[in-house]
Amino acid sequence: MQIQLSIDSVNKSFPSKGGSLPVLNGLTFEVYEKDFVSIIGPSGCGKSTIFNIIAGLLEADSGDLIYRGQKVKSLRGKVGYMMQKDLLFPWLSVLDNVLLGLKVRGVDPKESHNTAREYLSRFGLSGFEKAYPQTLSGGMRQRVALIRTLVMDPEILLLDEPFSALDYQTRLYLEGFLLDAVATFEKTVILVTHDIDEAVALSKRVVALSGRPTSVKNIHQIEIERSSPIDARSHKNFGEYFHTLCSELDIQTQRSSA
Amino acid sequence: MFRIGYSNSEEFSMSSWLNSGSGKFFVQFTAVALFFILWQLGANFGFVSEFLIGTPLGIWNRFIATIIDRSLFIDTGYTLLEAVLGFALGTIIGTLLGLSLWYSKWAAQIVEPFIVAINSVPKIALAPIILLWFGTGLGAKVILVILTTAIIALIAAHQATKDCDKDLQSLLYSMGGSKHQIFFGVVVQSSLPAIVANFRINIGFGLVGAVVGEFITSKAGLGHMIYNASSLYDLNSVWVGLFTLMFVGFLLYYGIDALERFLFPWRTDTGRSHIQM
Repeated sequence: MQIQLSIDSVNKSFPSKGGSLPVLNGLTFEVYEKDFVSIIGPSGCGKSTIFNIIAGLLEADSGDLIYRGQKVKSLRGKVGYMMQKDLLFPWLSVLDNVLLGLKVRGVDPKESHNTAREYLSRFGLSGFEKAYPQTLSGGMRQRVALIRTLVMDPEILLLDEPFSALDYQTRLYLEGFLLDAVATFEKTVILVTHDIDEAVALSKRVVALSGRPTSVKNIHQIEIERSSPIDARSHKNFGEYFHTLCSELDIQTQRSSA
Repeated sequence: MFRIGYSNSEEFSMSSWLNSGSGKFFVQFTAVALFFILWQLGANFGFVSEFLIGTPLGIWNRFIATIIDRSLFIDTGYTLLEAVLGFALGTIIGTLLGLSLWYSKWAAQIVEPFIVAINSVPKIALAPIILLWFGTGLGAKVILVILTTAIIALIAAHQATKDCDKDLQSLLYSMGGSKHQIFFGVVVQSSLPAIVANFRINIGFGLVGAVVGEFITSKAGLGHMIYNASSLYDLNSVWVGLFTLMFVGFLLYYGIDALERFLFPWRTDTGRSHIQM
């Protein structure tokens, strides 16, 4: 498999009261072309920091990003970043929100309008073009945010716990929606999640991180043929992966005697 | 709650009428009418000094007289022009400066203590100097109003840019957006509601500046009218001026309300700002 992006011994620390607080410590992993990588780790281990470095919102103290064989500073403008908050602009209609990335890039308005409408109708949101985000449900808003991310045709999708604020049903629905979209548009995805169940159900590979200062603890191949996230959860291997990853994160499932 | 003597439905319909638009207006109107009636009766029976306080009927007569000789329109026009022109210019200058401080954190940090210092001086205290420098005409009052409103607009705009959602800015930046695109696409847009909401306060300051300027020296305006009349112990004319000012302020306030609804249709009031208690 071809490597699309390597993250090579990246270090990052933040200034804090007692000097500097190391967050990333020689973080190294690879992302293949059309990969679906999930990153899991204990909370506060700097998962979002990794994304911020890739997206160009933060600079690494040392280490390299290598994109298709070339050293780059960041992938700013090439990534579609999606967060837990939908980050829809409240003063823009659904259509204008979807168009945001294309506008920033300076795509011909007529062309981008057509693309946006096509995506909206493909994902069941036609008729809502003129609605303001405030009037939509949480699931719909997150769907608009996902369309906004996809419509830019980014080379890599960075999804930072995109579904964790949603109820379980909506979440399953949107996970399916994401898998379809990724398959249709042949996208590479890096998903940060605290949800092991979601990581196993969606990804081809799972990167498990250690606690702070963070490095890669282990990388797991997930061998599940999936047609939907619900399918994946009932696959015979699902339970085993789930257990492996739970023990990887030292999750205490039994009440400790202390 | 005692319900004896009332049927349930009767009591219910009364309270629901008081809760309706016309019911609320009735309560407001009655309160005002009652106030003026008591005032008039008090003056008639000698509880209230007509000389020092005036009477509603006297005020009404002066009001009609100033309408007939058109002086009320001229005075109102002057004050309104000074206040609105000064407010518009002051707001534009202040808002542009306040917004542009977003561009340079360094400049903002340098300028901030000066803004605080200037803001802590009551701008009205500058009125005598301003009138000394710029004369007794309309221009001087406009400048006074600009001074009173610009600094407030500046602070409001600067604060609004600081309150702008960092994640929205990050999102646009990660898409490859330039600093200009982030400024106009996110910072300005998200600051506008707070800036316009501040207009309500600032238009009031505009009137203050205009009227105080007229107190000091002027040939026309509501401040001129009030000041002159009070030095002649013509309390009824003073009240005509004050009520006209109140009316003007009221109209401007609701004008800004309408402007807000026109500019920000996406901020639809869902009516959920109050919980039911």
